Amino acid sequence: MAEDTWKAYKGKKYFKPSPLKGLRVLEVCTLLFGPLGPAILGQLGAEVIKCEIPPLGDVTRSLLPVWKEQSPGLLHLNPNKYWIGLDLHKPEAQQVFHELAAKSDIIEDNLRPGVMESWSVGYQQIKEINPGIIYISKNGFGQWGQYAEENRPSNDGAAQALSGYAWMSSFPDQPPLKSRLFICDDYGALMGEVTVLAALHYRERTGKGQYIELSQSENIMRTMSWVWPYQQVTGKGAMPAGNRDVSICPADTFRSIDDTFVAIAAPAPEEFKGLCTAMGRPELADDPRFKDHLTRLKEENATEILKIIADWVRTKKPQELEALAEEYGFAASRVCNVKDVVHDEHFRERGFMTEIDDPVYGEFIDHEFPVMMSRTPPRRKWTARPVGFDNEYVLRHILGKSDGEMKQLYECGALGKWNDMQGRRPPPDWDGKAGLIMAR
Amino acid sequence: MAEKKQSDWAKESDHPGIAHTRPEALDDITVLDMSYKSFAGCYCSSLLAEFGAEVVRIEPPKGDFIRTCTPYGMLHKGEGLNYLTEGRNKFHITLDMEKTEALEVFKGFAAQADVLIETYRPGVMDDWGVGYEQLKEINPRLIFASITPFGQFGPRSKSKQPDYDNIIQARSGIQYDTGEVMPEGRTYDECPWAIPTKAGPWIGWCQSGTFMAVGILAALHWRQITGEGQALDVATAEAYACFDDYAHLWYQLDGHINERCGSLDPVLWLYCFAPTKDGGVFLGGLRLEMWQAFADMLGKWDEWGAGDWTTMAPFGEMGEQLKWGPLVFEETRKYTNEELVTMSIEYAKKGRLAPITPVVAPVCSPEETMKDANWLDRGIFTPVADPVYGELIAAQAQHKMTETPIRTKWVCRPVGYDNEHIYLKYMGFGPSKLKAMKEQGIV
Repeated sequence: MAEDTWKAYKGKKYFKPSPLKGLRVLEVCTLLFGPLGPAILGQLGAEVIKCEIPPLGDVTRSLLPVWKEQSPGLLHLNPNKYWIGLDLHKPEAQQVFHELAAKSDIIEDNLRPGVMESWSVGYQQIKEINPGIIYISKNGFGQWGQYAEENRPSNDGAAQALSGYAWMSSFPDQPPLKSRLFICDDYGALMGEVTVLAALHYRERTGKGQYIELSQSENIMRTMSWVWPYQQVTGKGAMPAGNRDVSICPADTFRSIDDTFVAIAAPAPEEFKGLCTAMGRPELADDPRFKDHLTRLKEENATEILKIIADWVRTKKPQELEALAEEYGFAASRVCNVKDVVHDEHFRERGFMTEIDDPVYGEFIDHEFPVMMSRTPPRRKWTARPVGFDNEYVLRHILGKSDGEMKQLYECGALGKWNDMQGRRPPPDWDGKAGLIMAR
Repeated sequence: MAEKKQSDWAKESDHPGIAHTRPEALDDITVLDMSYKSFAGCYCSSLLAEFGAEVVRIEPPKGDFIRTCTPYGMLHKGEGLNYLTEGRNKFHITLDMEKTEALEVFKGFAAQADVLIETYRPGVMDDWGVGYEQLKEINPRLIFASITPFGQFGPRSKSKQPDYDNIIQARSGIQYDTGEVMPEGRTYDECPWAIPTKAGPWIGWCQSGTFMAVGILAALHWRQITGEGQALDVATAEAYACFDDYAHLWYQLDGHINERCGSLDPVLWLYCFAPTKDGGVFLGGLRLEMWQAFADMLGKWDEWGAGDWTTMAPFGEMGEQLKWGPLVFEETRKYTNEELVTMSIEYAKKGRLAPITPVVAPVCSPEETMKDANWLDRGIFTPVADPVYGELIAAQAQHKMTETPIRTKWVCRPVGYDNEHIYLKYMGFGPSKLKAMKEQGIV
């Protein structure tokens, strides 16, 4: 039974292996789209080495708000990594990168096209050293095409705009609405790991590595499903519909008696019947306008049934609606805020909201990797580090560099650490030792 | 010989037009997708099918309810438009799991499969005698992937609630703080659009399916090393919630609950949508130099004192954003989208801070997106010539690879379309046996 499979999952996580144990990943990434990919691999057990250009490093370090002088975004997006400050403009640093690349399985970057090549660390250069390397470049527009050729910069918000995603996520007759999430960054990064792991499977079969490129905008377009064939088949533009799901009826967000919001969905026959019964209107389930899903989805009928539900919800409290959904087998959830999520007992019990005890940034609750794996549980262990924090460990442990060799690298500027600036330096309460691996 | 320019080399090596000449990464893998009422399941198996996995979709004889989830109830050649886009490369068979004989047949498939994707309420597969603990006896290498609203364990895992995308978006905490701000002195009745607003696309479902694909591939790697299969568990609200990158930490910092801020950003500047003469653009300049470049590009270097700015830190505060927003928008309204985009490209060449330039991107309707020559060139909207449904545009080739690129061979199949082939291939059932099974209502 499922209970047996998942018994004590949370408590036994560290008594089991990690699925990607033994793989090494190098990243030259900044902001979100880049770093999230290696973070996924890191939570699955790969050893991730994050290279930043010292002394400033990842741009996320500057973003608000501030947690112990650090950006929470950096803390969330970069678990389980080792941090080196490597100025890839310098030939000596490029040499270090080549040495690391020779011992790595995967390289990820999210710079504009051509930058890695200009530093002699592009795919075509690295594959000469390590033909089995899987190398992924992520950015706004990919490696070729008009926008890439124009060398346009990009952000998540640009991808939300260009893809039509924002346009489809607003209310009719209102301006397009930007998601508060960095959804194109995060979703694109996630999709990137599908490609990396598929490439890994292929490499295990054939020994061959490969090059992968992806764009923020293209990946989010893939999630827009019906929009494209609809436009092709009807010759009309797809229209936004606010919170109403035009493919599922009923499915919308409604205002409750206390002016908070509740999402409800009940499209399948037994679910719709359950909802009608819960509303005290069982006859609606047999109404010719609502009798089957395809009929109910038609504009005039959908408008009608959603109005009926809206009027009913206006008389109910959110918790009443959730209880009725449980009883009658339809779906309802209040529109939760971040406080609800952090304190959600179910998420805590499952270990999805998990406790981090980090030597540098302290204790907090963060999201565990959201795929639970019975034999090889993913896990979030530690968080971000100041620029160049793990230089000594990585260079000695992986490359066997002596103190003298490292000194030379520091002197020529190939290797570097943080400067005395918020987000770069260690937090104010750091004791000069906590979290350091090689020498304290 | 000189190395080829990166863009030329990449285009030559990974153009979707040559995908069919390349090998497939997962063509040694068989996947059973018996997801029901779940686009997350369909999406997950699509991602594997694009890489060449042999995906067998097992539906009840009447077909999966998800096929009826289509905009405005519209069908194209008898098929719902969402399902049409994510039936790609899959074989479709029917099997009535309520029948005892069907369960034996199912075990036969499970014995030969590498991956099984299911979305039934926890306990349903167990009750049928085909839960993970039971199937691993038949096939210890099996990767058993479950996608459900609350997951396989935890206090609410026994919930009877079904899983729909709009519910995921509400439960994950993401919908709450996306949306327009209520204009001062107005009410919900006057402005019904100034409320928590979900994303239009089925992002909660897609993301859950994509996470599961990552889990499955990691589990395949582990199996490659050890021979061991395992069970995987995705709770859809968790899969979407984990992209809330910092709001949960901000809350823990000082109790701050993030609220809606329209198309600004709660903490970032320059990072917003701005109105223009003919629509709107996204503006991005998170680094000081990019924000300065933006001011310069609009001819406001001196007036705004851009040369004196030393840090971005103050600009992210909402009060500052509400001060700077109107100043910026007054300027952007003077130009068309195209003019602003061109100004940013030109600034990168000739501006005072060149090559630094702000991000400027037009806010497109999907109609405009689908006509954009850049995306057409990159093969996203290349129609698939489907044997059943004809020429159809379903977004594809969303990433590019040199050795094992994804491809879409067909978009979809009607219910039970592949019964003959698949039952013969996996179970050795010829036409007469299949006919008998159909008569008994098993297939």
